[in-house]
Amino acid sequence: MIFEVFRQETEKDYHTHVGNVHAPDAEMARLFAQVAHARRKPAKSLWVVPKAEIAEVDADDPGVAMGGTTQKEYRWATNYSTGQMAEEIEASEAEQAEAESTRRRAGEDRRRGGDD
Amino acid sequence: MDLSTVKERAGPRQFGPTDEMPREYREAATRMIQFHANSEIMGAYIERPFIRQAPSLDRKLAVSAQVQDEIGHGQLLYRAAENLGVKTREEMLDELAAGEGKFLNCFHYPLDSWYELPMIMFFVDGAAMRRQASLKRTSWEPYAHAIDKICFEEGFHIKHGEDILRELATGTRRDQEQLQEAFETWWPRILQFFGPTDDQSTHNDFSQEVGLKTMSNDQLRNAFLNAYLPKAEKYGLKIPEYPRVEYHENRDHYEVYEEDLDWDEFFTVARNELPTGRGQIEKRRRSQDAVEWVRSAIESTPSGGETPAAAD
Repeated sequence: MIFEVFRQETEKDYHTHVGNVHAPDAEMARLFAQVAHARRKPAKSLWVVPKAEIAEVDADDPGVAMGGTTQKEYRWATNYSTGQMAEEIEASEAEQAEAESTRRRAGEDRRRGGDD
Repeated sequence: MDLSTVKERAGPRQFGPTDEMPREYREAATRMIQFHANSEIMGAYIERPFIRQAPSLDRKLAVSAQVQDEIGHGQLLYRAAENLGVKTREEMLDELAAGEGKFLNCFHYPLDSWYELPMIMFFVDGAAMRRQASLKRTSWEPYAHAIDKICFEEGFHIKHGEDILRELATGTRRDQEQLQEAFETWWPRILQFFGPTDDQSTHNDFSQEVGLKTMSNDQLRNAFLNAYLPKAEKYGLKIPEYPRVEYHENRDHYEVYEEDLDWDEFFTVARNELPTGRGQIEKRRRSQDAVEWVRSAIESTPSGGETPAAAD
């Protein structure tokens, strides 16, 4: 049986998918997941989930409409040029700009097709 | 943890759901976060009619995104308040519907025209953002966590508000006059945003001692006026003579003449007794009733029952 493993690094992080393990049952899967995904890297907790229990919605399926393709520039601070702002607004805008460049990098990685 | 330990250890993001907090702390934090959550929801209801009234498609989309954000912020905050164990989210929503929940004074007033919108979206939200930025260092960690996401989104609202302000300020003479009129109407309310001055404030000392608040009303108001009055002047808005505000350069301090402001009205508003505010509360209650069937459908689903983690 295949179990997907999600690792949470510190208390404040989300659980992130890190890979999977093959195991005969849930208990062994938890053990394998610990060895494979939390022995070297720091971890706060692991979720170990039978692959069959994960529901998937695929963008290629007929009748599925996912976001991200619509022009949504109106919703970002970076799109309004208002000159010098109060420092807390500048900080918020910097976070949005950073998130945007992360999104863009992730998009480029996907298009290159690999994590090399 | 007893109260003196809390005061000793108080610092940014110091306490969370795993800590045993004294009753006084949990009640003070609940009061503060619930007020904030209510204000996000009621603010969204003030802005909502302008999705339809917005003069262009871009503006409609942006106002609509803004309203969605505010509702989301409210939900995050109720969740952060809920894990203090004083009130459930249901109780807080019911209190708001019953007219017992307190919220920001500015959201008790009617918003009749598009010219008034930047008063909320730029000045009031700007003041709120100043306050929220200081709360990234609040001692209740789930609150600070919610604030992270709120601040991420709020910058867009204020910049969009300024964009509208600039558009109107550079429009026809009639636009400029109506804008100035709206500014004069809102000026005293904006000055009252941060509440009474420090010497008059009742909850301030305790909240600062336990690290829930990191800046006093006066400090926040000064920082806000410092950043936003130059902006008002840049767009040709004239600061009304009354209520008086005076800038003391040597202390980098704005003196607000407390006696010029109508504190009777302020406290009438705070008790939810202003007629327009009551109308807003009633509108909110009807909306909540209208979607009762959605909540009950969710609650009767077997997968329910598990409390999600703090603000995420």
